[in-house]
Amino acid sequence: MLTYTLKRAGLAVIITAISLMLLISMIQLIPGDPAAVLLGPLASPEMREMFRQQMGLDQPAVIQIVRFFGRVLTGDLGTDVLTNRSVLVTVMEQLPFTLALVAASIGWSALLGIPLGCFAAIYRGSLADRIVGILSVSSIALPAFVVAVYGLLLFSVRLGWFPTIGAGDSGAPLDQLHHLVLPSLAVGLGWVGYLARMVRASMLEVLTENHIRMARAFGLPERTITYRYALKIAIIPTVVVLGMGVGNMISSAVFAEIVFARPGVGKLIFDAISTRNYPVVMGAVMITTGFYVLCTLAADLIAAGLDPRVRSTL
Amino acid sequence: MSDQLFDSAREARGSGFRHSTLGRIISDPMGLLGITLVALILLGALLAGFTGYNPAKLAMRDRFLDASFAHLLGTDHLGRDLFTRALYGARIALGVAFVATGISFIGGLVLGMIAGYGPRWLDSLLLLFFDSLRSFPTVMLALALVTLTGPSLASVVLVVVLATLPGYARVVRAQTMSLKTAEFVLSARVLGARPWRILAIHILPNLIGPLVILVSMDIPVVITIEAGMSFLGLGVRPPTPSWGSILNDGYAFIRESSWPAIAGGLPIIIATLGFTFLGETLRDHLDPRLRKDA
Amino acid sequence: MSGLSRRQILAAMAAAGFSPAFYSRAALSADGKTLKVRSYADIQNLDPAFRKGAPEDDIMRNIFVGLADMTPGDVWKWKLDAASRLEQTDPTHIEFTLMDGLVWTDGHGAVTADDVKFSFERMIDPKLDAVYKGDWEALDHVEVKDEKSGTIVLKAPFPPLWNVGLVFGSGRIVSRKAVEAVGGKFDTKPPAQCGRYLLKEWQPKQRVVLARNPDWKGEAPQFDEIHVIPIEDEKTAELALEAGDIDYTWIAPSSIPRFKQTPPKGGKIAVKPSLAYVWLGMNVEAPPFDKLEVRRAVQQAIDVPSVLDAAYFGAAEPATGIIAPGLIGHREKNIYGYNPDAARELLNKAGLASGFECTIDILNKTEQVSAAQAVQANLSEVGITATIQQHDSGTFWSLGDQKSGDAWKKIQIIINRFSMQPDPSFATDWFTPEQIGVWNWERWNSPEFGELNKQAKVEQDEKKRNDMYVRMQDLMEEGGAYVFLTHGVTGIGYSDTITPALLPHGGPIFHAFKSA
Repeated sequence: MLTYTLKRAGLAVIITAISLMLLISMIQLIPGDPAAVLLGPLASPEMREMFRQQMGLDQPAVIQIVRFFGRVLTGDLGTDVLTNRSVLVTVMEQLPFTLALVAASIGWSALLGIPLGCFAAIYRGSLADRIVGILSVSSIALPAFVVAVYGLLLFSVRLGWFPTIGAGDSGAPLDQLHHLVLPSLAVGLGWVGYLARMVRASMLEVLTENHIRMARAFGLPERTITYRYALKIAIIPTVVVLGMGVGNMISSAVFAEIVFARPGVGKLIFDAISTRNYPVVMGAVMITTGFYVLCTLAADLIAAGLDPRVRSTL
Repeated sequence: MSDQLFDSAREARGSGFRHSTLGRIISDPMGLLGITLVALILLGALLAGFTGYNPAKLAMRDRFLDASFAHLLGTDHLGRDLFTRALYGARIALGVAFVATGISFIGGLVLGMIAGYGPRWLDSLLLLFFDSLRSFPTVMLALALVTLTGPSLASVVLVVVLATLPGYARVVRAQTMSLKTAEFVLSARVLGARPWRILAIHILPNLIGPLVILVSMDIPVVITIEAGMSFLGLGVRPPTPSWGSILNDGYAFIRESSWPAIAGGLPIIIATLGFTFLGETLRDHLDPRLRKDA
Repeated sequence: MSGLSRRQILAAMAAAGFSPAFYSRAALSADGKTLKVRSYADIQNLDPAFRKGAPEDDIMRNIFVGLADMTPGDVWKWKLDAASRLEQTDPTHIEFTLMDGLVWTDGHGAVTADDVKFSFERMIDPKLDAVYKGDWEALDHVEVKDEKSGTIVLKAPFPPLWNVGLVFGSGRIVSRKAVEAVGGKFDTKPPAQCGRYLLKEWQPKQRVVLARNPDWKGEAPQFDEIHVIPIEDEKTAELALEAGDIDYTWIAPSSIPRFKQTPPKGGKIAVKPSLAYVWLGMNVEAPPFDKLEVRRAVQQAIDVPSVLDAAYFGAAEPATGIIAPGLIGHREKNIYGYNPDAARELLNKAGLASGFECTIDILNKTEQVSAAQAVQANLSEVGITATIQQHDSGTFWSLGDQKSGDAWKKIQIIINRFSMQPDPSFATDWFTPEQIGVWNWERWNSPEFGELNKQAKVEQDEKKRNDMYVRMQDLMEEGGAYVFLTHGVTGIGYSDTITPALLPHGGPIFHAFKSA
């Protein structure tokens, strides 16, 4: 298991590095001199030169890549060229909002998906099961940005139940939660369906296993069996799938952050790309990709821990 | 019947399921719903030119009309008939879906087979490349690429291909690898068949079926990417109607009229639901092993 | 030349993804103690010498004083701010005396005439290389007479100083001691402040919190705190206003008719003329626009009201030039009007009777997209087939820049919008021959225009100055490269619980906002 973990972790690092290299090469190709865009072409030549040096744009791509990784290793992600603040600080300020959004989305999907899945498993084959099945598939199919726009229009604008913008007051957790409801619904709705289906499938498997049969034989109430014993086991694979799904959630988070004018990493990258603020783009993409790869890694490792067969395939 | 939703694996493993595919799909309520919705979208795309309106013609006097017999979905901020624009939007969405998945399909097939059958170092290299591409969230990929190429339908297709191809290639690679050691392949190899011949005659036919299902299941994803990019202004060029850009107008002008938001969002929902229902049913009936989550 | 600084402003704003407009919004929380102000962009720099755009100007006005400020109301007029006396004694000398009781935060003592000297002279210090140096380009030096008074000495008469340099961000006073202690400039953390409010906290991308300055000796501002919330998209801001999340916002011109018809509950609307100018430009070097007939044909092919109807739902008036009504140099009427027959005739003459294909480059904003589609429709009437290319701000604002890529060669038609401050030189600086390939993306070369632009800047006779600017706009139109579209209009939506204090173009003076 240790070798597998190490191998997998090494691979994760390499993948992050390669995707960043792809990014740097892409940046090289994007038209427009960022120094000119950010400072204006008539800024004094010294100012522009200084700026280009700051961005590291005076160097060939290879050197930029090497330098970037060198700095990353020392924990320095560079400087935001617009505000002169550390990119690390900038990204870390925004990251909690996106993490909160992703966590709340997982919350939504668990809150709705797991009970639905259990319900469908218990009443397997009934009309209710069939309806849950169709609802699950529907929720998977709905694009997050459509849910975001419709949710905003219906619940915030028409009904006024939820705030339209922002992340709430920093000192007021309840306010922040209130601000999270709709964006996380938009991001998490698709996962309700996934979870419901997965929980149902693995519940069906688990419910036929020996110790559950034993529990039944001992006359334990069906409810206790379902929630205390079966669900506990059945839920493990869903954790794995959620880990894999974080990348997808970050994608949806960009839309939710834009539609609801929320702070967050997705919005940060979106803005930074359109302003050619490359150090921020690099730093933020590096951290989100890293985060995503980490989640996949964790999911992989959990899967491997549960099922030794996985370890042989890398 | 609902068991076919979740448990069709057992039933479908029987022989000779091909000849009654359509019948099986229609007899499944979800399949029937899927086929109906998809047919609706296809019909819409076909009939787009027959509504009597030009989707790009401005008519400022007719701005923000509510739905009526003259304008089934009302008009937008430039007085254009939204029903017509939604129908033309279907052409764009389906066009992108078919072209992009087609390219992804072929690219995934070729790269996947190379990775699966080729030398190990090439396999590792390609695998790394696929995984790196997949580690970019699609939106970021779209943003970076469109900055490079400028918004256009071609950029949308490129983003879709880059976003979906690695997944197909991985599946093809895995299948190729397992087929590589299958007896009929081994015996062909012993008989001296060249690699390309083995790939083309023995492996390829066994890959296409599952991949077709997988790709068809991604059509709603592709439609979502196209609409999402156009929603962000990274897709079609105005005045080309795309569901995403119509929805964006609807978002911008929601207080003036609800119809643009409906005309943009509803077709997206119909199309993604329709194709997903159809794809799910298809997969459950044709190849239950492909289920990602069970 | 002063052009440098202003185009840098534009570039900086462009870089930050703003449309170069003076957009800024505000709101009021339910308890009436906190004013929540909406801004179109987050702050990037609060140093008066390096600020990036209007959102920072609006905040700086609260945390730093100037000698003078612009007066809220419908007429451009300056008033005293932190000076008890400010007087132009001759064309090159301005005497000032600071009011009593101005104290820096963080223990930096009283605000002195030497701080004024430091604040203004650093703007033209070549070592500091201030972005806004053009605002003070005529400054020679500041003489300190005593602790509280001194004289601003100019190299030459410079009328724009009273409309721009003294009254906007470049006229804010910072503490010599504090700024020198942090190395001569600062970013988002002012080392010392003196204003009606103080910067309490900046939560990037969320809000800037301003708190009432307890040491302020003048009339106390009404609200305990001002929260400046960055929301880029104005439609999102409108939704927030209607949902009660913010109580004051500029609204999109296209929303004005709707707001007038059905104001949001508890909301009010104000409409102010905008200073900005929107125009359609043609690259005089890109065929077929290198032919004057073709440019003239386009000038007469565009039905400006129809374009404005599409983009602004008729809320904005057609423009006669680039200088808005109410300013020196505003032109009464256009030379060429809508005449598609004449346009077709001209195209015939140019040998393009069967039409041609071209591109329209625009910024990726709802208004621009609508305008471009109307232009596209107008052009198709005379046989021109136009393709709309929309760009994000990063790409758009470097399109015509000769130093970044070669997109400048390919520009054919471009729809653009610049904002300005209330001095005509702010509008004309970008169209001179020196600006070709910089901000003069039409690459229109008129030495006469360039010469007039220089002369008009130092002309002290208002009538003569006016005629010069009118003549310059005539030159622009005769040259054929420009179709003046509109100055736009500023719509302001606000909660009926507040009374906003607005400059003539709708710019907010937050510290003067009152509860209603």
